[in-house]
Amino acid sequence: MTAEAPPLLQVRGITKEYPGVRALGGVDFDVRAAEVHCLLGPNGAGKSTLIKCVSGVVAPTDGEILVDGEPLPTGEPSESLARGVATIYQELDLVADLTVAESIFLGHEPRRAGLLNRDHMRDRTKALLERLDHGDIPPDAHVRTLRPAAQQVVSIARALSHNARLLILDEPSAILDDHEIDTLFKVVRRLQEEGVGMIYISHRLDEISRIGNRVTVLVDGKTVVSGLPADTPPSELVLHMVGRRVEQLFPERAVPRKDEVVLEVRDLSRAPDVQPASFVVHAGEVLGIGGLVGAGRTELVRLIYGLEQPDTGEVLVDGRRLPRGRAAAAIAAGLGMAPEDRKSQGLLLDWDLTRNVSLADLGSYVRGVLINGRSERKAAAEQLRALNTKPDDPDRLARELSGGNQQKVVLARWLMRNCRVLIFDEPTRGVDVGAKQEIYRLISELAKTGIAVVMVSSETEELLGLSSRILVMREGAIVAELDGATTDEVELLSHAVAHTDTSPILEEAP
Amino acid sequence: MTAPTAARRRIPALPFGAGRAELQEYALVGVVALLLIAGAILEPDTFLTSDNMLNVLRQASIVGVVAIGMTFVIATAGIDLSVGSMVAAAGVLGGQFADSGSLMFVLGAFAMGVLLGGVNAAAIAYGRVVPFIATLAMFTMARGLALWISDKTPVSIFNLDFVRWFGTGEIVGIPSAIFVFLGVTAIGWMLLNRTRYGRYVVAVGGNREAARIAGVKVQRIIFSVYVLSGICCAIAAILLCGRLSSASPVAGNLLELDAIAAVVIGGTALSGGRATIVGTFLGVLTFALIFNLLTIMNLAVEIQQVTKGVIILVAVLIQRKQN
Repeated sequence: MTAEAPPLLQVRGITKEYPGVRALGGVDFDVRAAEVHCLLGPNGAGKSTLIKCVSGVVAPTDGEILVDGEPLPTGEPSESLARGVATIYQELDLVADLTVAESIFLGHEPRRAGLLNRDHMRDRTKALLERLDHGDIPPDAHVRTLRPAAQQVVSIARALSHNARLLILDEPSAILDDHEIDTLFKVVRRLQEEGVGMIYISHRLDEISRIGNRVTVLVDGKTVVSGLPADTPPSELVLHMVGRRVEQLFPERAVPRKDEVVLEVRDLSRAPDVQPASFVVHAGEVLGIGGLVGAGRTELVRLIYGLEQPDTGEVLVDGRRLPRGRAAAAIAAGLGMAPEDRKSQGLLLDWDLTRNVSLADLGSYVRGVLINGRSERKAAAEQLRALNTKPDDPDRLARELSGGNQQKVVLARWLMRNCRVLIFDEPTRGVDVGAKQEIYRLISELAKTGIAVVMVSSETEELLGLSSRILVMREGAIVAELDGATTDEVELLSHAVAHTDTSPILEEAP
Repeated sequence: MTAPTAARRRIPALPFGAGRAELQEYALVGVVALLLIAGAILEPDTFLTSDNMLNVLRQASIVGVVAIGMTFVIATAGIDLSVGSMVAAAGVLGGQFADSGSLMFVLGAFAMGVLLGGVNAAAIAYGRVVPFIATLAMFTMARGLALWISDKTPVSIFNLDFVRWFGTGEIVGIPSAIFVFLGVTAIGWMLLNRTRYGRYVVAVGGNREAARIAGVKVQRIIFSVYVLSGICCAIAAILLCGRLSSASPVAGNLLELDAIAAVVIGGTALSGGRATIVGTFLGVLTFALIFNLLTIMNLAVEIQQVTKGVIILVAVLIQRKQN
C-alpha cells in the first residue's frame, strides 16, 4: 500500500444514525482507479445511505472518506463534485424540457462575455457523447424524447463534464431492458479504460461477474464481505446477503381458516406495473408478498385497495364485489391499509394523535351532526394504550413519534373499525428492532382474531417469519407461491431476483 | 423537538373544546388590542365609541363572509381568486329580478353563486385544473358575465326593502349585516371544527394521499369547498347590494385579495392542512380597524395600502417561523 498510489476512494468506519435507526454501522469500502466495485445487499441494507455519504448529500455521523488519500469534507455535495465524485441516481434527475446539451451543462454553462456560448456548449457535448461512443445522440434533442438508456448516457456525460474520476451508479440497470444494459456496459467499460473508478449498485446478481472487478456485500448497515472477486458464484453471494437469522423475533405463525375466504383477487391488472394477478386470502392468514423493490408489489395492493383504476379484474371481500377504483368503498367493505410511507401516505404529521386515529372512523363519534370530541379523544387514547404506543398521550403531534410508534398510530386507526382485511406495505420500514418485534406480534394477533392480513415486505426475514404463504412478484407478475413454514431465503430470493445463476444471460457473459 | 414547539403544545385547549389554539390567534388578539389602544389614544373622541366600533364591524362584514368561505378553500391547499367577480355576478343576477321582489333577488344571487362556484369546483376537482388557474379564469368570466347581464349599468334595487334591510337595517341598534357576519362565522367555525366534513377538509389539505387511504372522498371534498365559497359570495352580494341599494357589475373589485390577506394573516396555511376560523375573523377585524383608524386620522389611501402590505408580510413571516 505504501509503495503504490492510494486508492481513488477510501471509506473508513462510516457510521450514519437517524433517530431510532442506525443506517450504517462502521462501513469500510474502497475503489481503485479503473475499477468497477459492485455493491450488493438487500433492500434497506444501507447502500443508498453509503453512496449519499460519499456524494456529500448526507453527512455521516462518524468515520472518514478519503479521495486520493486526502480527507473529503462531508455533507457538501459541491465538495464531492469538485473532487471528481459524481453520482448517477436510480431515478434519472434530468430536466425533461431541456436539450441534451443544456442538461449536460446545467449549472456550469460555458459563457462568453456573460452570455451563454451555445456553439461551444454544443461542441463539447458532441465530444463528451463521442467519448461514450454515443455520438448519435443529437445535442439539441430534448431529453424527454430520449429512451431511458440514452438519458442515462446523458447523465453520465454530465458527470464527465465535471471531470468525474469516480462514478457512482445506483442501480443503473433497473430501468433498462437487456439490450439497453449491453449499451450501458459498453459505456462502463469505456470509462474503465480511461481510468475512471466506479461504484456499481445492482440487484441483478448476474451483472456482477459481467461488469465488476470486486464485490462487497452490505447487510444491516455493515459490510458482510468486502472486496471479493467479482466472479464469486451468485449462490455464494446470496448466502452472504441472507446472513444469520435473528432468533425468536417472530411470534407463532398464523394458521389460516381454510374454509373461510375473506379476500379474493381475480385477474387484477394495470399496465405496465401489474400483470393479471389472482389469489385468495383466508381468515386468520398472513399472506406475504415478496419481491424486489419495483416488482409491482405496492402497485398490486394499491389496486386491491381501490387507489388506482385497474385495467382488468375484480376484488371480492366476503364474496361481495368491490366497485373498481374506489378506496372509500373498499374501506366501507372492511379493508384497511398501513401504507409504505407513513409520513407521506399514512399520517397527518401536524395533527395530534387523536385526530390521526379517528380519521377513518369519525362517524362513530358524531352525535347529530357534531363530533363529540371527548368520546373521540377517549377512544383514541384507549386504543393507543392498548397498542403500547409511546407516548400514548393523544394530544401529541404525530410528527413527534418514532417510526415504530407512528406505525402503531396507523394501526390504531384501523383497529377502531372492524376491519376484515388489513394490508401492510413494508410494516417495519424505518422501525427499530424492539418495535419490530411488537409490530410482528400485533400482526400475528390480528390474524388470530380472523382478520385476513396481506403483508408486502422487502425484508425476507419477516416474510419468512410471519407469513402463512408467500407470493413472490417479479416484473409485475406473481411468479411463485411458497409455503411460509417450509421455504427459505435462498428459494425466495431466487424467485425474486431476475436472471439468477441459471439464467442464460450469465452463460453469454464474456 | 425544539422548545418553542413544546411550549406551543402546552397551551391549554380553548373553552368549549376548540382544540389546540395556535400561537398566531393569540398574536392577532394582541394586534387587535394594540390597534384599539392606539386608536383610543390617537383619536380619543371618535375611535372607541360604540357607533364607530359597529361601523367597523359592518364594514368588515362583506369581506368577512367571503373570507370564511375562503378559509375552507385555502384549508384544502386551494385558492379562489374569483370571489370578487362572483359577488358582482350574484348581485347583478339577483338585480334582474328586482321587479319580482326580494325573495327572487335572494334566490337569483344564490343560484349564481352556486353555479359559478360549481364551475370552479368541477374544473378543479374533476377536471384537475390547478385552483389558481381555474379561479383566475372564473375571475374574468364572472366579471364579464356581470357586465353582460347588467348591460354595464348598475340596477337599482331601492324597492327591495328586505334586501336593503340586510345592508342598512338594525336589530336592537346593531346593524343586521353584523349579525349575518357573526352568524356565518359561527356556522363556519362549527363546520370546520366540529363536523366530520370540516375534519375531512383539513385532512385533504394536510395530506391528500393519507386522507384518501383513510377513506376520505377527496374529490368530493375539494368540489364542495368551491361551492361553499360561491355561496358565501352570494351572501356577501346580498349584504353589499343592500348597503348600496343597487346591484353593480363592478362591485367587489379586489375583494379576493382582501379576503385572502385576512385568511393568511389569521394563520390558515396557504399550503393547506391548518385552518382557523377564529384567525380569519381576527384577520378581517385587523384590516377593518386599520382602515377605520387611518380614515379617521385623515391619512391618505396610499398610506393605508402600505400599512396593509407590511402587515401581510410580517404575519406571513411569523407563520414561517412557527413551522
